[in-house]
Amino acid sequence: MQILKVENVSKIYGTKRNSNKYTALRNISFEVNQGDFIGVMGASGSGKTTLLNILGSLDKPTTGNYIMNGQNIGDLQRNQLAKHRMENIGFIFQDYNLLETMTLKENIILPLSLMGMDAKTIEAKLAKLAGDLGIVPVIDKYPYEVSGGEQQRAAACRALINNPKMILADEPTGNLDSKSGKDLLNLLSFINTEYKTTILMVTHDVFAASYCQKILFIRDGEIYNELYAGSDKKHFFDSIIDVMSMLGGERK
Amino acid sequence: MNLLTLALRNIRLNRKKYIMYVFSMGFSIFTVYTFLALMQNNYVKMAFQFDTRYTMILTSFGVIILVFVLFFLISSNNSFIRARKKEISTYSLFGMTNLRIGKLLFLETMLVGTATLAIGIGAGIFFSKLMAMFLLDLCLTNFVGDISFTIDPMAMVVTALLFLIIFCMMGLSALRVIYQFELVDLFKADKISEGKQKGSVAVLILSLILITSGYILASINNSMVVVLGAIPILILVISGTYLFFWGGLPKVLGLIKRNKRVYYGGVNLISVSAVSHRMKSIASVMATIAVLSAVAATAIATGFTLYSNAERNTYSNIGFDLVYYGEKVALQDEMHGVFETNHVNINRKDIVELNEVDPKTESIMIRERKHLSDEDSFRVYSETKYNSLIMASKNNLESVQIPSGKAYYIFPFSQEGIEDAMLGLELDFQDSAVQIMKVIRSNVPGFGLDHTLILNDRDYEVLVRSNEITPSQMNGRTLTATVITYEAALSNKKLNNELEEALTGKVERYRTAYSLYNESMETFGLICFIGFFMSGVFILMTASLLYFKQVMAAEEERHQYKMLRRIGMEDKTERQVIQKRLLPVFFIPLAIGIIHSIFAMKTADTIIFSNMIPVENSYLSVLGFSTVMYLAYAVVYGVFYLITKSQYGRLVRNESH
Repeated sequence: MQILKVENVSKIYGTKRNSNKYTALRNISFEVNQGDFIGVMGASGSGKTTLLNILGSLDKPTTGNYIMNGQNIGDLQRNQLAKHRMENIGFIFQDYNLLETMTLKENIILPLSLMGMDAKTIEAKLAKLAGDLGIVPVIDKYPYEVSGGEQQRAAACRALINNPKMILADEPTGNLDSKSGKDLLNLLSFINTEYKTTILMVTHDVFAASYCQKILFIRDGEIYNELYAGSDKKHFFDSIIDVMSMLGGERK
Repeated sequence: MNLLTLALRNIRLNRKKYIMYVFSMGFSIFTVYTFLALMQNNYVKMAFQFDTRYTMILTSFGVIILVFVLFFLISSNNSFIRARKKEISTYSLFGMTNLRIGKLLFLETMLVGTATLAIGIGAGIFFSKLMAMFLLDLCLTNFVGDISFTIDPMAMVVTALLFLIIFCMMGLSALRVIYQFELVDLFKADKISEGKQKGSVAVLILSLILITSGYILASINNSMVVVLGAIPILILVISGTYLFFWGGLPKVLGLIKRNKRVYYGGVNLISVSAVSHRMKSIASVMATIAVLSAVAATAIATGFTLYSNAERNTYSNIGFDLVYYGEKVALQDEMHGVFETNHVNINRKDIVELNEVDPKTESIMIRERKHLSDEDSFRVYSETKYNSLIMASKNNLESVQIPSGKAYYIFPFSQEGIEDAMLGLELDFQDSAVQIMKVIRSNVPGFGLDHTLILNDRDYEVLVRSNEITPSQMNGRTLTATVITYEAALSNKKLNNELEEALTGKVERYRTAYSLYNESMETFGLICFIGFFMSGVFILMTASLLYFKQVMAAEEERHQYKMLRRIGMEDKTERQVIQKRLLPVFFIPLAIGIIHSIFAMKTADTIIFSNMIPVENSYLSVLGFSTVMYLAYAVVYGVFYLITKSQYGRLVRNESH
């Protein structure tokens, strides 16, 4: 089932009068189906974070449509956008973005309590998810008291707690050591298969990208190439490296 | 690039942060200058030089202001430096030594400080005049003293010197903060908690016990006990207040957190956790503000109550607009003449025949001093005569009804134990006796004698017939008192002067409401003026401290709001979060300060007002007057809260796109 359709989306920074225009995205079109695990790759400055911000409705496209659940997100008002984010999208950021003033538990339940859900339901949802994601032992600690991996797992937990249609992950492993990074990727795969949650992950880490089912490569604001994971993981990995070296991006 | 150009560049680049800094510093300078100018004011000097009590009060005000300014500036300076952590750490990273960074900051402080000093003193000159005019013309319209503020070079020099010293101390304290920084911390500064305050039930209970016992002590109805207990009360309440903010309030927040139904409501979750996160850094500030608010609210309420009751107090003292007795020559026509030439109508004039009686009684000692003995005569009234006298007066004494064989006793002064000593006392006449059933304090009906009796009409008749009640004699004439009420008595100075002139030397004694009123106006008006003035300064100072702290915090909390918006917080919710985040910080110290003040007013009532305000329950009336001032106080705080809220909102919404 298709849940997201992007049609000819462009993003141009700089005002009309200003000759200093910068085109971050150029006529991007693609579709996302329910349960996909899609990676977006590209070199620094290729426009991948801009794309993610637009998909997350943090930013608006200059032209083009972006349709989710049959609704054109560009038409929504500011407060409707907030509601849309709260109900449909879960975010995972490179620097976790947990509130320092709250324990992990409070951070995780924040979206639900903003929705006005009652305490019992919140506790029930939290108990299941926290168990699945393995953060029960540290749940009452504050973010600065736990490791980066644990913080990122808590952030994933927060992204998942309101059963979003889609999770947007912006370099989720960027700040993690390889072991924690691997754990998190396994977790995302688990979420993807177990909860049937659609995941869209921006990364420039080839290893992280190899966990995806499909990869979009972006260069200079345009989709340059697409890769699908076959049954052979090794082959997929090598193909990614090939494309990346052609893009002039990082090698691994 | 030398340090001076770097400093100037920094000031220019950091001007947004510096505006707040200049605002709070300028305010401190303004405060100090205005206070010094007030101290140097000739009228205030003259009025207070003779009374060491007032000098003491003023000096202690000065000390409180100075300590607070110092505390305020050093704390705002330190949080200012913390807000610039990143910048400072970059210097450090590029190899600037701590000492050089300290020098740079000191140079900046001095540059900005000197400019602020000029602005602050300028504002002080302008506003002290404005404030004095405002207070005198609007609030204290009946005040006759002359408080005019002029440009005071002495106050200017002292202020400037004082602040140069304070700037040096700030420089040293900044250096200390810089030395405390670790480079690593500097770059992750925002992420480190300021230290969580868990609080404890024991501290919460202890603080409540301390405050409550202070309150109980303050509510005792015995003025001797309260005066002696003043220091213990202060210690109990102040230490209780600090403990409450240090350990009690965090615990209360902890308890709120435990109530999941309340706590999990999205807005509460964010704001309660944010407030409890800030608790450690703001607890002392909140406690200090609560105590200062209590002081200021009490000062302002006392002043206002004294001032508002001056008229009532005057009439409870004298009863009529003009009273004289014991004339040496006939005066009636001359007095009428004075009123006529001034075109003033006499509302009512009564001539009271004064009688006295000399019953046998045991001697009464009160606190080892003779109060009453056999030789003392009593001024005496029948209940009808007394009732008509007080009906004519502007006093609000109540009319009496006395059963046969009983008597009311009136004494002009309030004295400890007088009621115990006099109630039930038997006064023996030749064939009868009366027993005192009630004691009243009033100096209206005495007319020259300390002790006054009111008897049942029939008892009175009997004593007149047996010649025991006799008309008083003075200067060879039967003694009468003339009591007059007339129009606009408290404002007609010319008439008063002429009346006094006409009466001087011709009567045994005279009193006018005008003179009495203006005497008390002069004292109370000045107390009230200084109370208003200092409270105004305190209110502005504390409120701007809160403003400064919160706006500084906004800089650090900005990224949280950004994140919250990302996960889908609506604008409406954001406004609620900001409101709940800021409201407690303003409201709790104010509420506690006012509650403290309510009890302080109870103490003031026991010591002063109950003697001054001649109504059954003077405390209620005192509370009425105080409430007006509490409301005014709350309004000022409310305005500051709104300013802070909009500024805070603006800061955290910045960079949202």
